Amino acid sequence: MKTAQKNPPAHSVHSVHKTPTNPPDILAPVREMIQACIQCGTCTGSCPNAFAMDISPRGMWRMVIMGEDEKIAEELFNTKTFTLCSSCYTCTLRCPRGLPLTDAIQALKRIQTRHYPEKAKKNIHFYASFLESVRRHGRVRETEFMTLFFLSMKNPFLPFSFAPLAIRLMAKGKVKPGFPSAGNGALDPIFQKARELEASS
Amino acid sequence: MRLPTKIGRGLVVGAGIGGIRAALDLAETGVRVTLIDRSPYIGGILTQLDHQFPSDRCGMCRMLPLMDRDAGSQQCLRRGFYHDNIEILPGTELAELSGDAGNFTASLRRRPALVDPSRCIGCGACAEVCPVSVPDAFNAGLSQRKAIYRPVPHAACAPYVIDTDACNRCGACLDACTTGAIRLMSKRREAFRILVVDDEEIVRESLKEWLHEEEGFGVETAASGPEALTKMAEAESPYRLMLLDIKMPEMDGVEALRRAKEIDPEICVVMMTAYAAVDTAVEAMKIGALDYLIKPFETDVLIPRIVSIYGDLDADPADELLVGAVVLCGGTRLFSPAQGRNLWGHGVIPNVVTAIEFERLLSGTGPLSGGPLVRADGKPVERIAWMQCVGSRNLQIEADFCSSICCMFALKQAMLAKEKSGGQIDASIFYMDLRTYGKPYQQYRDKAEEMGVKFRRARVHSIFREEESGDLIVRNSDYESVGHDDHFDMAVLSAGHRPMTGMAEMAEMLDIPLNPWGYMATKPLSLTRTEREGIFIGGSFGGIMDINETLIRAGAAANRASRVIHSTGGGLGEAVSETEEYRDVASETPRIMAALCNCFESNPLENNPDAAARLKADPEVAEVRSFDALCTEAGWNGLCKRIRESAPNRVLVGACLPFIHARRLKALARETGLDPIYMEAVDIRGAGLPRHLLTMAAERLKRVEPEREPSLPNHQRALVVGGGIAGMTAALAIADHGFPVDLVERSEKLGGNLNWLERTIEGDPFSPLLEEMSEKVTTHPKIEVRTRATVIGASGEAGDFVSVIETAEDCPESPKHESPKHETLEHGAVILAAGGREAETTAYGHGTSDAVVTQKELETRLKKGEIDIGKLGSVVMIQCVGSREAPRNYCSRVCCAGSLKHALRIREENPETAVYVLYRDMMAYGFLETYYTRARRSGVIFISYEVTAKPEVEFTEAGLIVKVHEPVIGRPLEIETDLLVLATGITPDLPPELAAGYGAQIDTNGFFQEADAKWRPVDALKEGIFACGLTQAPRSVPETIATAEAAAHRALRILCRPHLTPARVTAKVRHAYCARCGQCIDACPYGARTLNPETDQIIIHPAMCQGCGACAAICPNSAAVLEGFTLAGMLAAIDAATEAEDGAGRTAQKEEAAQ
Repeated sequence: MKTAQKNPPAHSVHSVHKTPTNPPDILAPVREMIQACIQCGTCTGSCPNAFAMDISPRGMWRMVIMGEDEKIAEELFNTKTFTLCSSCYTCTLRCPRGLPLTDAIQALKRIQTRHYPEKAKKNIHFYASFLESVRRHGRVRETEFMTLFFLSMKNPFLPFSFAPLAIRLMAKGKVKPGFPSAGNGALDPIFQKARELEASS
Repeated sequence: MRLPTKIGRGLVVGAGIGGIRAALDLAETGVRVTLIDRSPYIGGILTQLDHQFPSDRCGMCRMLPLMDRDAGSQQCLRRGFYHDNIEILPGTELAELSGDAGNFTASLRRRPALVDPSRCIGCGACAEVCPVSVPDAFNAGLSQRKAIYRPVPHAACAPYVIDTDACNRCGACLDACTTGAIRLMSKRREAFRILVVDDEEIVRESLKEWLHEEEGFGVETAASGPEALTKMAEAESPYRLMLLDIKMPEMDGVEALRRAKEIDPEICVVMMTAYAAVDTAVEAMKIGALDYLIKPFETDVLIPRIVSIYGDLDADPADELLVGAVVLCGGTRLFSPAQGRNLWGHGVIPNVVTAIEFERLLSGTGPLSGGPLVRADGKPVERIAWMQCVGSRNLQIEADFCSSICCMFALKQAMLAKEKSGGQIDASIFYMDLRTYGKPYQQYRDKAEEMGVKFRRARVHSIFREEESGDLIVRNSDYESVGHDDHFDMAVLSAGHRPMTGMAEMAEMLDIPLNPWGYMATKPLSLTRTEREGIFIGGSFGGIMDINETLIRAGAAANRASRVIHSTGGGLGEAVSETEEYRDVASETPRIMAALCNCFESNPLENNPDAAARLKADPEVAEVRSFDALCTEAGWNGLCKRIRESAPNRVLVGACLPFIHARRLKALARETGLDPIYMEAVDIRGAGLPRHLLTMAAERLKRVEPEREPSLPNHQRALVVGGGIAGMTAALAIADHGFPVDLVERSEKLGGNLNWLERTIEGDPFSPLLEEMSEKVTTHPKIEVRTRATVIGASGEAGDFVSVIETAEDCPESPKHESPKHETLEHGAVILAAGGREAETTAYGHGTSDAVVTQKELETRLKKGEIDIGKLGSVVMIQCVGSREAPRNYCSRVCCAGSLKHALRIREENPETAVYVLYRDMMAYGFLETYYTRARRSGVIFISYEVTAKPEVEFTEAGLIVKVHEPVIGRPLEIETDLLVLATGITPDLPPELAAGYGAQIDTNGFFQEADAKWRPVDALKEGIFACGLTQAPRSVPETIATAEAAAHRALRILCRPHLTPARVTAKVRHAYCARCGQCIDACPYGARTLNPETDQIIIHPAMCQGCGACAAICPNSAAVLEGFTLAGMLAAIDAATEAEDGAGRTAQKEEAAQ
């Protein structure tokens, strides 16, 4: 707490206006979930992935609470903290306020997908490719899933970054090489229904 | 003779410090009190704590009676106490309470004492032979004790007790006991007959084996319902307990139960059932079964359950007691971190301890015997972490409250650890808000910071252990990083509190509702009154609090109880008995009778031939006799008889429990007519040198000079300065006991701050309270109210204060301005209730803009409707404006609650208004935490700031901008706001010259200085002066009311006596030797000595002198002496102690020199 003054933050001064400038308060549903947060830092101390995050979970929740302002909201979605959540639920288990933190992170991910699709591009394509493979075969075919992902990302260099991992997995027989195929469409009605539900929500 | 003459009788349940305070407060005003506690000892949790914040020492003895000191013990209170008006019953519970206020009938259930307290001499022979060893609860399980043990090792008169759960009834202690104090409990158990009814032989046989062979109960079995009923009908002595199977052929258990109850309605039945038939068992409970047990049995569940039922049923028949009022001081229960998820690994990871365990580790009577702290692996402890809020402020475990005391507790322990290790121990406190909300507590925190205690704002959720190093790893996050690991040698869990075990059951029995936190509810705006008239709550039983607060509330509860007793006929105004008449032996030559107890086994004269010889050789010792077991009634009667026969004029008792004998000597005095000042009891069995103790006492007895200072008449009338809620409450609390009170109020109107305050945070309005109190005070026949009056002259001492009151006669605006009226009042006690006000400030532009207001201004404007919440876009509140830093370095404690109250109201009335609270530590102590949670939930944004980086305010054309550093996201914020509310805290209104006139001290901030911040929270060091409300310390209205009642009752101790009589040990002056140098006047801490200019003599106020001896030590001429401790007597005693042979000559020489 004391060191806070010693190292002045690099961030610029943030102004909070009497009337928030962000008409659709997109963070409102998440704020509702974590409003009672007391910034104790239990979540940060608990998080196994915190070492890789750019801001702490405590800071992230603070931004949600203060994020009626568009600037803070946008800044929040520029961080990768919430995208790194692996849904282990440790923070939820330990939060002294009993807040549904993991659920709130899922909600943040959904909001990002909807309102800042360009920031969530990688995630969106990753999950879409995963589900596409599931739709076709009722399970994931890893090589097909990754092929679809690389194609959708339209980045010719992306496959190379995964190459060493792919080779190791193949050497151990964990994944089999193969080409995408259409599948028999048996799961299509389920996916159709899910799309309808999503559209209506 | 001091006969218990009071018809009104108080019952105090729980003998922790709260209970002791309530009992003593009642007893000192002449009410007879029964003080019960379910544990086998008194003192509660404080017996385990050697050091108390903020003094870091024990000061329990400061609670001892100061008026009529001879009525009670004057020794270390932690070792036990007695008072003539108090009956102490340990091991006793309140089983039932019927009747109404003033006329309750209480049934008390006493556990049979397996060790007779009147025979046990505490020799410990039984514990030596006891083969059972179990964890010692006194040392929080850190050491072992035997099944027969002393619950509090340092207690002076508490006998050994038997832990019936641990005892294996081997009987070894019976043979070891030299006094035959241990009862044959096996016979009691054998007489407790249990009937086991089950169709399966294996069940019958196993139960018989467990309960009869192992536990020693009388057990019989029956294979079916009809057989059981036949056995019951034919039994010579009734069965006490029946264990009844549900599913049996022929007749099922429920039917058998019904018929069994017809044969013997008294029989206790416990059903036995398979898991599948629990429903039937529950049905059975509706028709009279006590409980059910699920098969298959686990012996470690079954046997304790049966033993507990036995304990309840076999308790001695309940004593019925008529009482006027009941004070509940049942205390609190510590949260056990090992229960539930146990994320801290308490009991699993070595070196993780709770606060109470740490306290025991530090203690000289603890498992380390006060030695340096070591880890479980033997390495020294160098790094300690304190984890705050373990079991508190946690909604996941239904603890939406703050445990109030743990922050101060952790500060104290961190400093003690530092002190103990010479500053070597690295101490870190992990906290969320450090709640130092008591008057001197902020300074205490500052002291900790100076000592190098580290404060780290992070909540720690779990502790790990590193295998290789054995270190504890605490993963935590600070504001800058995303989390890191710290290594510690020891972790102390500041475990919070829970309602006392049995709270809900007791509430149901007494028909008192529980509050949302599980504690017994009190009436709105009162912290002591329950829904049931005549039953009051004192101390932590109603919610967790520290010693200071506990004593105040216990005192307030005692006052309330006393008023009920008084109003229903138990008069307090009855005379407290005057001094007894004794035989005048002052001029006789000393004839000492030395009575030595032979303690069942050996002749003390043979054991101490030297001492006996010296005593016998002493010409002034008329008789040296040995008596059989003086601690028994027979032995004592023998002594009385012998004294009556030989009529010695000094009695020296050598026995093993001088603490008990001190009390019995008074009884002896009444029977033999010899003033107890001529009697002394010394320990000839305990540690030390009995030979010296005996001769020392004999030398002292020879030189006793029994002159007493004369009694002083007492003005049985009180003056209350200040007509706010504190003053009005105090005036009523005294006047309701029938003593006249003068109430002086400076302004035109009674009520003080209640005139502008609207409601509490709970939503209770103040105006009905104000109306009710003003009405009662102005119409009370014993209260004379003077408004627009001030005290312009004050002097005097307890029993005889003189005050000059100036009353403005006319309206000052009127042209016909009359001169003010002056009156002189004489009164026995004074209560300072001058109040306080919101501190003024010019910080943050207050006074330059309408948009910057104080809390009071906000409340007043909201009340008057001058602020339209609907139009507010944003409100910023700043806490601790000018508080908790020099020059006003104290927490005003009410402002955080005030801000929460306003923030909640604003958000409720207009959810569009953004509310920001800029705080240092939110002091949402106790149940206020719930409102803090509620405020957060309602969308109020709380931003913490450091005192080194305060918020800044800028007035721009666009409006007001508050700049503050937001530490969590680490950036400066600029908040545009319509309204800035400043929490400036409270300053006292006590005029220093008024306090000085009466002789009370004030502290650096202008508050009344208590005699002891912890132990005498409403008394001045000088007797007769008391303070309450904001004069004493910042407090909320309900807390103020409690202080007023507590202060009033302290005053009643004086007011209820027509004369103030000196106690036995009181200082006196030998005027012939006195040089009037005045050193003793300065040395007296109680202000009891003054120089009378008329007679040119030093005079001592008999009621104010507490017999400390400071005057005797400082007097250069030996003119100041302490009764019973004359110089000659003390020197002779020292001679006797230091000299082996032939000391008489030197004593005589010194005596001459002393003259």
